[in-house]
Amino acid sequence: MGSLARAYGRPLAAAILAIAALWILALILVPLGAMVEQSLWWRESKGDISLQIDRIYNDIATIQLDRASETDPAKQAALDATLEQRQAEATALEAQEKDPPKTYGLANFTRMSGLHLYIFVRTILYALMVTGLAFVVCYPVAYVVALASGPRKAVILMVALIVPYAINELLRVYAWLMILDYRGVINGLLSWFGVVDLDNRGWIPFLENPSAVFLAMIYTYVLFMVFPMVNTLETLDRNQIEAARDLGASTLRIHRRVIIPHAKPGIAVGCIMTFMLSAGSYSVPAIMTRGQGGDWFSQLVYRQFYESNNWNMGSAYAVSLLVVCTTFILIMMRLFGVGLRDIAK
Amino acid sequence: MSTAIESPGARLVLNIYIGLFVLYLFLPLAVMSAAAFNSFDYPSVTQWRGFTLQWFVALAHDQRLLQGLVNSVLVALGVIAVSIPAGLSGALILTRLGQRSGTVLYSVLVSPVLTPGIILGISSLIFWREFGVPGGLFVAVMAQSSFIASYAMLLFLARLQRQDRTLEEAALDLGASHTLVFRRITLPFLAPTCFTAAVVAFLQSFENYNTTVFAIGGEWTLVTEIASRLRFGLSPVINVVGVIFVVLTLVAAVAYVVLKGKPRR
Repeated sequence: MGSLARAYGRPLAAAILAIAALWILALILVPLGAMVEQSLWWRESKGDISLQIDRIYNDIATIQLDRASETDPAKQAALDATLEQRQAEATALEAQEKDPPKTYGLANFTRMSGLHLYIFVRTILYALMVTGLAFVVCYPVAYVVALASGPRKAVILMVALIVPYAINELLRVYAWLMILDYRGVINGLLSWFGVVDLDNRGWIPFLENPSAVFLAMIYTYVLFMVFPMVNTLETLDRNQIEAARDLGASTLRIHRRVIIPHAKPGIAVGCIMTFMLSAGSYSVPAIMTRGQGGDWFSQLVYRQFYESNNWNMGSAYAVSLLVVCTTFILIMMRLFGVGLRDIAK
Repeated sequence: MSTAIESPGARLVLNIYIGLFVLYLFLPLAVMSAAAFNSFDYPSVTQWRGFTLQWFVALAHDQRLLQGLVNSVLVALGVIAVSIPAGLSGALILTRLGQRSGTVLYSVLVSPVLTPGIILGISSLIFWREFGVPGGLFVAVMAQSSFIASYAMLLFLARLQRQDRTLEEAALDLGASHTLVFRRITLPFLAPTCFTAAVVAFLQSFENYNTTVFAIGGEWTLVTEIASRLRFGLSPVINVVGVIFVVLTLVAAVAYVVLKGKPRR
């Protein structure tokens, strides 16, 4: 910190530190902490308490009836005491009903229903599959773009990749929605050839199939896989490939022993970005399925917040997702032997 | 100059593959754009009912979308105002820190880039509710800034690595005040990056959906408005928005290539 003050003077250094501290605290760490805290407590649902209160009042009514028909003063006194006690219980519960107390624990995580757990696991598997597919699709592209001969060709290719990348994610999903919809482009083409009958709703329901989400998701996030790989492959010395070839290595072997090892950091970054984006994507599944196909986990999280209004449960879901993503990042960094500084480029 | 590494056959296969890939990228956009000019009231290219510009007119009269556009711009400006100073401060501190102590800070500052967008939205929503601020444009600015500031910081860091620090030291030795040095040497050196970072921040903010949808509450931006419409059915008006985006991006790309290509010759 001393060098900061020496370079920019105390007031300026203090301002810089203050701004950075605000960023870290107010935008990153404390909100994250607030979310974790929210996931760790819950309030008893109002419905249960109301039910208990109703039951106590029923009891009170019965006791009052007994009390009215009772003649023995000793028993009367006993019944009065019970009445008072029950009344006190009811009052206490009523106070709780108005402002239920917080209870801390892990119940929000363990209470996840079987269906939701299934969706959670499925979302992670889907995200892994999207990542794998995106890698397979992108590897040749990155290879060609990075080793393209001539600067002009490289520029043209980069622009061809950047233009769709720069267009709004939502509009890219929308384009696919248009193509795969009931009366979309593909069904329209099929009806031209008389394969399907649109007038009698004889269309093929592409959107109700999970692969529709896959297709759009790969389309949306594919470039996050391409660019990191291009970046690392660009630094590969082509002489290495030629040397390997001259020494008699097969194409497959060159890729396995020369190119892929060199591209490792790029592959790791591409996989991390693609996995993170697809596991946490709300836009693609929400728009593509319109509730017809299976849900993705992000949609459950959204509903906990904006439909069930259960922020505690929603936070627990979000924390679970965050844990999975962080674990994935750590595993990838380990496997590929890359540091955080290689990732953020 | 280009010594082909592959055999001609492999070359051909690769080129066909790239061609298909580019087609995969552009065909959906082309279809979307074409449907904006079809007078059929469901976005389609297979049922062509004649060329029209009526959907452009409809967009011009669509109050919610226009208001969404205004909101998007407001949020993006807010994000620039927050994330440029934050990113710059972070970068300045990191360049002065040692490798050891820098790594922890660095990890914290880039972590938002690696966090799923919905989580940034959720945590901001929860945090600001503690202060009685409900979801809305302000929370959206805060949620987006948390990760856009990281992008800005990375841009500043890259620039600062190429800085000649002796210049600042010389000015200080010659008796310039710290503020003068910062204003006359450091800031001018960083000015181009400030501009780039602002453009990146604007674009990132403008097109953000996953974070915004959680933080926006009852308000809306252009993108969240489009998304909520898509739930109820498709309309060519959305295609018009798409066409405008595609055209703007293409113009920007061509301008970039032309500008970038010139000094090279």
